[in-house]
Amino acid sequence: MQLISPTPAALTRTLGLLTASLFAATGLHAQDVSPAASHSAYGPSPDARTPTSDTSSDLGLTRVDTAILFYQEAGGRVKATEPVTSITFNGSDGEILSVKLTADSLTGATPNGAAPWKATQTFISPSKSKGVQTTTTSASGHSQTVTLPGTDIVASQYTADPHALPLDYGFRDTRYAVDLGYTTPIDAVTRLSFGGGLSTERDFKSLSGSFGLARDLFDKNTTVSAAVNLEYDTSNPYFGTPQPLTEMSALEKGPNQSKTVVNAVLGVTQVMNRNWLAQVNYSVGSANGYQTDPYRLISVVDGTTGAPVRYLYESRPKSRIRQSLYMGNKIALGPTVTDISGRLYHDSWGINSVTAEIAERVAITSALYVEPHLRYYSQSKANFFHDYLIDGQTLPDYASSDSRLGKFTATTVGLKVGLKVTTNGELYVRADSYNQTGAAHPATAIGDLKTENLFSGIKATSVIVGYTFAFQ
Amino acid sequence: MSYTATLQPQGLLAAAENGFVYQFGAMGSPCEIRMETHDASLALSLGEIAEAEALRIEHKYSRYLKDSCVSHINQSGGKAVALDAETVGLIAYADQCYTLSAGQFDITSGVLRRVWRFDGSANIPSPEEVDGLRDRVGWSKVGWHPPEISLPLDMEIDLGGLAKEYAVDLAVQRLQAISDTPVLVNFGGDLRVSGPRAKGGRWRVAIESVEDDSGTEGVIELSDGAITTSGDARRYLFKDGVRYGHILDPRTGWPVRDAPRSVTVAAPTCVEAGILSTLAMLHGRDAWSFLKSEGVKAWVLF
Repeated sequence: MQLISPTPAALTRTLGLLTASLFAATGLHAQDVSPAASHSAYGPSPDARTPTSDTSSDLGLTRVDTAILFYQEAGGRVKATEPVTSITFNGSDGEILSVKLTADSLTGATPNGAAPWKATQTFISPSKSKGVQTTTTSASGHSQTVTLPGTDIVASQYTADPHALPLDYGFRDTRYAVDLGYTTPIDAVTRLSFGGGLSTERDFKSLSGSFGLARDLFDKNTTVSAAVNLEYDTSNPYFGTPQPLTEMSALEKGPNQSKTVVNAVLGVTQVMNRNWLAQVNYSVGSANGYQTDPYRLISVVDGTTGAPVRYLYESRPKSRIRQSLYMGNKIALGPTVTDISGRLYHDSWGINSVTAEIAERVAITSALYVEPHLRYYSQSKANFFHDYLIDGQTLPDYASSDSRLGKFTATTVGLKVGLKVTTNGELYVRADSYNQTGAAHPATAIGDLKTENLFSGIKATSVIVGYTFAFQ
Repeated sequence: MSYTATLQPQGLLAAAENGFVYQFGAMGSPCEIRMETHDASLALSLGEIAEAEALRIEHKYSRYLKDSCVSHINQSGGKAVALDAETVGLIAYADQCYTLSAGQFDITSGVLRRVWRFDGSANIPSPEEVDGLRDRVGWSKVGWHPPEISLPLDMEIDLGGLAKEYAVDLAVQRLQAISDTPVLVNFGGDLRVSGPRAKGGRWRVAIESVEDDSGTEGVIELSDGAITTSGDARRYLFKDGVRYGHILDPRTGWPVRDAPRSVTVAAPTCVEAGILSTLAMLHGRDAWSFLKSEGVKAWVLF
C-alpha cells in the first residue's frame, strides 16, 4: 500500500472550484466545499499562497517562498536586485502568521527632472560642508567633487550630454523591509487581521500598520471585507531638504520631513456562478505631508529659444486624496484559469487612470503550467505637471516634471512558467517587459525644445526566479 | 416534470459507539449514517432526512428506474430535453470534468457495459464488438445547451459515477444545516464526515482488502472531508494471464491496463474524491504518480 500526501495541482484546484460552484448552485452550503475553507483536517493540503494563486489555504502547513527579482531599465538607468523571502505559518484552526523579508539593492541613474537640451548641461548637487565625507559622488565616475569658488562648500558636479536626458548617477541605495501579518478567525464566518511593516533605506523610513475584518455571508457565497491602513514616512534627504521651487545650489539644509497616509478599503467577493469568482474593491486614501521628491529638478527655460536658464527644485502639494474602484474576476474553464481585472483611479492632483489586466494560466501537464499576462495602463497628467517652466512667468505653487505624474500609457507583457519539482515544491520564473509611452514632442514645446525628446518614461525588463515549498 | 417522490423511510436505528447508527439501502448499496448524539429521536430524524436525500437522488438519477430524469434523457429519441436547475448543475459539472480530464471522465461511457461484463470470467468481448459501440460513446457528440440536452439516438448517459457521491455531499450538508451533531455519512463506501468527532477526535475508516479473505488493508483517520474508493476486487475478467479491471477508458472502449485494484482518495467533498479516484484508475500504472502530482491524499493498492 502506498500512501501519498498532498499539495494539489491544477486539476485538483480547478475541481475544487467547480465543486464549490456546484454546491453553491444547489442553494446548500458552500462552506464545506469552497476551496478556501476546505482541505483541512485530513492533513496538510493545497497550496495557495504561491505568488500566482490566491484561492485555497495551507491549513497546518508552513510555506516558504524565496525569490529573487532582477530589474533593469533601458538606457543604463535603474538596476535593482531584490531578494525576497516570505514564510507563512498556518495554524490548524485557521490562524495565519506571515513574515516577509526584503532586501533591495538599487543602482544606476534616475532622470533628475531637467529637460534635455542641445548643449551640455551642468548640474551641481548639494553636498556636505568641507571636511565631511560624502558618498554620493562615488557612482560610476559620472560626477566629480568640486569646491565652490569663494566658499568652503564641497559640492558634487555632473553633466548631461547634448540631447541626452539629464540623469543623476548618484543613485545608489539599499532598502531593507520587514512585513508581518496575522489573521485569526473570531467565529465561523468572521476573520480579523492585523499587519505591520517597516522599511528603511538611507534617506527614507516607512512604518505602517493595518487592521481588517472580513465576514462571509450567504453560505460563503459572498465575503465582505473592510480594512484600514496607516502609514508614517520620514524623509531625510542626504543633504537636507531643499526649499521647493528654489534654485538648485550647493547648500540645502532643511529639516527632515514626514508624511502620514490613511487608507481604507471596502471589498466584496462573490461567487457569481459555478466557475466565476468576482471581486469589487473601493479604496479611498489621504496622504498628508511631504510628498515632493527632494532630489528632483525642473528646468526653467527661455521663453523663445527653450534654452535652460536655471534649475529649480520641484514642488508638490502636501495633500493628496486618492480613490480607486477595482473589479477582478477569476474564471475557471476546463484546464485554464483566467484572471481579468480593471481599475479606475482618480486623485486630487488631477490624475485619472484606467488599468486593464488579463492573465491566463494554462496547465500543460499536471506538473507544468504557463501563464501569459498582459496589462494596459493609461493616465492623465497631474494638474501641476510641466515638462519645464518658462522664465519670466509667475512661478506656480506646485510644479513637477516627474514622468510618473505626466500623461502616459504603459503596457506590460509577461510570461510565467511554473514547474512542480517535488510534491510540495514549485519552481517558477516570470519575465516581464514594461514599456511606457508618452508625449515626446508636445505641441506646446518652444524653441529648440521642439526637437528634444521630452518624455522621460521608462522601458524596463524584470525577471523573477523563485522557489516555493511547504512542510508540516 | 417533478422527481420528488414521497418515500417511506425504511432504515433502522441502532446504538453505536458514542451515539447511533442509522442503516438503510439505497442506490444499490448499504448506506449508513453515524451520529454522535445520545438523543435517539434526533438521531432517527437525522437518519431519515439523510435517507430521504439518498432516495430522492436515486429516483431522480438512477438509469435503472423508468421514470427517472436520466431515463427520460436516455429515452428522448434524439430530441432536446429541458432540465431542471439541479440536473443542469450536475451535467454542467460532468461536462467540465470531461474537459478537465481530456475525455477520461465521460458520462456517456455506460453503453460499453453491454459488452463488458465483469463477472470474474474469461468472456472478453471481441474488438469488433467494442468498436461497434464506440460511435455511441463520447460526450462531445452530445448537444449540451443548458438547460437543454440533446442526446443522439443510441447514446445514453449514466450519472452513476457522480450521483452517489453527490448524494453523500448533499446529505452531509442537509444534516449540518439542522444540527451540530457530528455525523459520518457512508453510501456504499463513498463517505464524508461533518467535521471532527464530538471530543475533537478523528473518525476511523477501514480500507477494505482487495483480497478475498476480507480483512482490512489499513485504517484512515479523518476529521473533515470525504473519502471514496474506486476499484472493486470482485469485478474483473481474467484471460490469457491478463487481468481486466472494471474501469473502462471511454476513449478506447477497453479496460485500463494495469489499473490499481483499488484507489482511495481523500478530498473536501465526496464528488471531488470520486472524480479523482476514477481519474486515478484511468491512469493505470501511473495512478500513483498522477495522484502524487495532483497532491491528493490517497491510498493506492496494486
